[in-house]
Amino acid sequence: MATVLGTAAGTVGTSAAPPILDVRSLTTTIPTARGTLTVVDDVSFAVAQGECFGLVGESGSGKSMTLRSILGLIPPPGRVASGEVRHAGRDLVRLSQRELNRIRGREIAMIVQDAVSALNPVYRIGRQIGEPMLEHRIVKGARSARARAVALMAKVGIPAPEKRVDDFPHQFSGGMCQRVVIATALACDPGLLLADEPTTALDVTIQDQILKLLVALQRDLGLSLLLVTHDMGVVAQTCQRVAVMYAGQIVELVRTDALFRQPRHPYTAGLLNCVPRLDGPAVRLKPIPGAPPDLAAPPSGCRFHPRCPLATEACRSQRPELVEVAPGHFSRCIRHHEMPPDLWKRLDA
Amino acid sequence: MADAVLPPVKPVLAPPRRRVRWRQHTNMLVGGGILVAILLASIFADHLTPYGPLEQNLRNTLQPPSWAHPFGTDNFGRDIFTRVLHAAKLDLMICFLCVFFPWVLGTALGAVAGYFGGLVETIVMRIVDTFSAFPFLVMAIGIIAILGPGITSMYIALTLAGWSMYARIVRAEVLVVRQSEYVLAARALGYGHVRIMFGHILPNVITPTIIFAMTDIVLVILSTVSLSFLGLGVQPPTAEWGIILNEAKGFLLIAWWMVTLPGIVIVIVGLALSLFGDGVAQWLRERA
Amino acid sequence: MPEPLLQVTGLSKHFGGHRGLVARLGGVPAPRLVAVDDVSFSIARGEIFSLVGESGSGKTTLGRTILRLVEPTSGHIVFDGTDITTLRPAQLRKARRQIQMIFQDPVSSLNPRLTVRQMLGEVLRVHAVRPASQVQARIAELLALVGLPADSIDRTPKHFSGGQRQRIGIARALAVEPRFIVADEPVSAVDVSVQSQIMNLLLDLRERLGLTLLFIAHDLSVVRYLSDRVGVMYLGRIVEVGSRDQLFSAPRHPYTRALLSAAPRPDPNHRATIAAITGEPPSPLNPPSGCHFHTRCPLATDLCRSVAPLPELVAPGHEVRCHHHDHAAVTA
Ligand SMILES: Nc1ncnc2c1ncn2[C@@H]1O[C@H](COP(=O)(O)OP(=O)(O)OP(=O)(O)O)[C@@H](O)[C@H]1O
Ligand SMILES: Nc1ncnc2c1ncn2[C@@H]1O[C@H](COP(=O)(O)OP(=O)(O)OP(=O)(O)O)[C@@H](O)[C@H]1O
Ligand SMILES: [Mg+2]
Ligand SMILES: [Mg+2]
Repeated sequence: MATVLGTAAGTVGTSAAPPILDVRSLTTTIPTARGTLTVVDDVSFAVAQGECFGLVGESGSGKSMTLRSILGLIPPPGRVASGEVRHAGRDLVRLSQRELNRIRGREIAMIVQDAVSALNPVYRIGRQIGEPMLEHRIVKGARSARARAVALMAKVGIPAPEKRVDDFPHQFSGGMCQRVVIATALACDPGLLLADEPTTALDVTIQDQILKLLVALQRDLGLSLLLVTHDMGVVAQTCQRVAVMYAGQIVELVRTDALFRQPRHPYTAGLLNCVPRLDGPAVRLKPIPGAPPDLAAPPSGCRFHPRCPLATEACRSQRPELVEVAPGHFSRCIRHHEMPPDLWKRLDA
Repeated sequence: MADAVLPPVKPVLAPPRRRVRWRQHTNMLVGGGILVAILLASIFADHLTPYGPLEQNLRNTLQPPSWAHPFGTDNFGRDIFTRVLHAAKLDLMICFLCVFFPWVLGTALGAVAGYFGGLVETIVMRIVDTFSAFPFLVMAIGIIAILGPGITSMYIALTLAGWSMYARIVRAEVLVVRQSEYVLAARALGYGHVRIMFGHILPNVITPTIIFAMTDIVLVILSTVSLSFLGLGVQPPTAEWGIILNEAKGFLLIAWWMVTLPGIVIVIVGLALSLFGDGVAQWLRERA
Repeated sequence: MPEPLLQVTGLSKHFGGHRGLVARLGGVPAPRLVAVDDVSFSIARGEIFSLVGESGSGKTTLGRTILRLVEPTSGHIVFDGTDITTLRPAQLRKARRQIQMIFQDPVSSLNPRLTVRQMLGEVLRVHAVRPASQVQARIAELLALVGLPADSIDRTPKHFSGGQRQRIGIARALAVEPRFIVADEPVSAVDVSVQSQIMNLLLDLRERLGLTLLFIAHDLSVVRYLSDRVGVMYLGRIVEVGSRDQLFSAPRHPYTRALLSAAPRPDPNHRATIAAITGEPPSPLNPPSGCHFHTRCPLATDLCRSVAPLPELVAPGHEVRCHHHDHAAVTA
């Protein structure tokens, strides 16, 4: 798998520099009463310097667990069973919690979906933005932390930051809370931002504003962004490259435009086919039949085969690998070369 | 219309599997085992000991424990072991009923208050506040003082002193469940109040009340014994733990067994109830 | 034009505003929230009418007043010639056989303790929809209708996936054989692949059973896929209403246009044509004067700040509440 990875980062051509984050064969398991769930299964991808990389998939596909595995935040008894997470020459999987704490928030910051509950209701906004700086000793003293908090608030587009820095979270709307969370994440100038569905809880007009803010920050500060979402529209408008997850695995990984132009995995194709559009003719959607599998009893072979129109005996018995089907284009499907462009449209013929 | 009805999807989860893991429920098993054993012994007490609970033998008073009288005899020559065994039935029944009645009363009033809201709620909850303002035993004793001592008075007193907490719990739960969409759906389907309350709301709020009842049960058995000890509940000469203790208190210095051995039994029963209650509560929580 | 199945006129719902005894004595004014503000629209037989708008715009409240799950403060709802707002409880219960509701949350909208059989059986028995001997057959029929496997009948909700639960909710609503269904964001909490299954199911059911639907959503692409006509809500008011094509091809209200441009599109080459709107939706407890949208509107003038615009007909069946709808059309 190592070769696959090297190329994944290299062929994008965004930069020759080593990727800022290089995840290799990451596998995370959670023991439960119903058996051990492999919630992240052999996940490999690399985020290039200054890139916005998308992780897209349906509910339960393991997107959040992948992000948490990267920062060593898997709730026990779950654990990273194997694989590497390379960042700045280290393997994060092998670091102790104390060593990780020096990286969390400082070099890699995380934004969660529910911004309102991510803020502590009893502390003033300024203090919450300043806290990581003091913790990581980026600034000396509360005065300078506060000054920097005001600057950050201005940067994330909070109007009248000098006045609002002493407000409490409940005085902020959902969208403004998300801006505060982003400011907190930016406090220590991290190189990499992990964003777990940062706009899912927001209204479209606010989502639009937050996404534009993230893209602008990424461009202006040279940030790298790993963006988790379930919305193909969000991917299309913010990410350069994207990995599609299904039942804990990456099934396709490619540049965003190629993904939408020519998906090379039946699941991706099916997903794109059942998203209703705002333009173009209103044609009848062709849903993917069935539902994602129960991770306690995953299907044999390819995890998508029970729902796949292309499935053959080999798909049922043989576990497919993520292979490069075109330069920089990876697919976990043994029949990717036989995939007709109108795969899902022909279904009801 | 080729795909008028979509291909059926397989349910995601396996069908229900109800297997109680007994290992994880040692509390419940040990507690329950002790209770069942004591209860059975009490029911078949006539076959286990040759004496009757009220049978006096004035030539054989204040005997220390022996093979013939494991717990010794009291000042009337009654066999204490026999009396303690017979008392178990009565005490456990009183205890059960004194948890059951407040549970029913409290749940019903709490449900009505939570479901209908408004004036009904205000009235019920103000009564609840009034009742919970007094400490449990103080209130029970006060009510018995008004009604006069006796077993019926004790039922009434313990019910009135205990129901308010159930009403609180149920009302709070109902307020949450009432807002849930399945209750809204039931209203949208044109169901009547009775059906919604008993068929759709109560089954979903009952678990926490049972969990509370399980912790309450220990308090109640101790109160039962205390009230009778004070002469406010069951009346002598009936074999009852509180009475046994009361009668023994005058002989504390000359016949230690009269207080100590029944006392140990009461402690064991209290512990067993507590273990059993905790076990049941935990099991209910896991199931929820 | 044939008589519509549902006619809503001047409907309003205010929350709060009554005061407790203490507050009344103290003369403290109670905060009042206008969740639905003088809304009028009609839905023709067999039509799917959608309400779209951001969180807190009053869609759910409006949907629920139609079943009188929420009592309207004022206004009239005429369903098939009967004014629902004046029905007494007994009559109302009967009317609810005609109007049913599908809920957003597939988890909380099903009683967790009942199996599918108990749930559907109860509906059929309470309303005596079918004689007792046919209840079981009808349950099987309903399951097939919504695409659930027959062996799901004795399971409780927790044994189903989100999409399947949503189907159970739909089967429950269909059990009383209603003519009209209020579907409150039935596809917002399910995955995309399941979302299209549910939407197709709704379209098919309309076709087969001749249903009329009020469909509530916040996702414009979903609305475009399903609806015949659409109303856009902002802070309790319907600001624009028209046929699907009118709304999506020639939107006239600046808010509608902003919503359309903000919606993320699954197309990497798409570029928004109009500037995104700035600012946040105002608090419904203290809505802006005049036109509620003026605080975020690029076209706002003094007129907008002081006078609330009335609905104006800009094309047959296309109504807009904007002082500057002509201007909006020009800058499009
Ligand atoms: N604490 C846990 N114990 C057991 N299983 C868990 C736990 N947390 C998550 N899972 C399982 O792990 C899988 C992946 O979950 P994850 O939260 O990563 O999904 P996701 O892709 O982020 O989905 P969503 O879009 O719903 O956030 C799911 O099947 C979930 O049921
Ligand atoms: N029972 C209630 N009491 C007081 N206010 C309420 C109540 N129900 C709704 N509201 C308020 O009425 C307004 C409209 O709410 P509603 O739920 O109808 O919005 P919505 O458009 O359905 O939003 P969403 O997209 O979040 O579901 C909101 O400001 C809400 O806070
Ligand atoms: Mg997640
Ligand atoms: Mg709503």
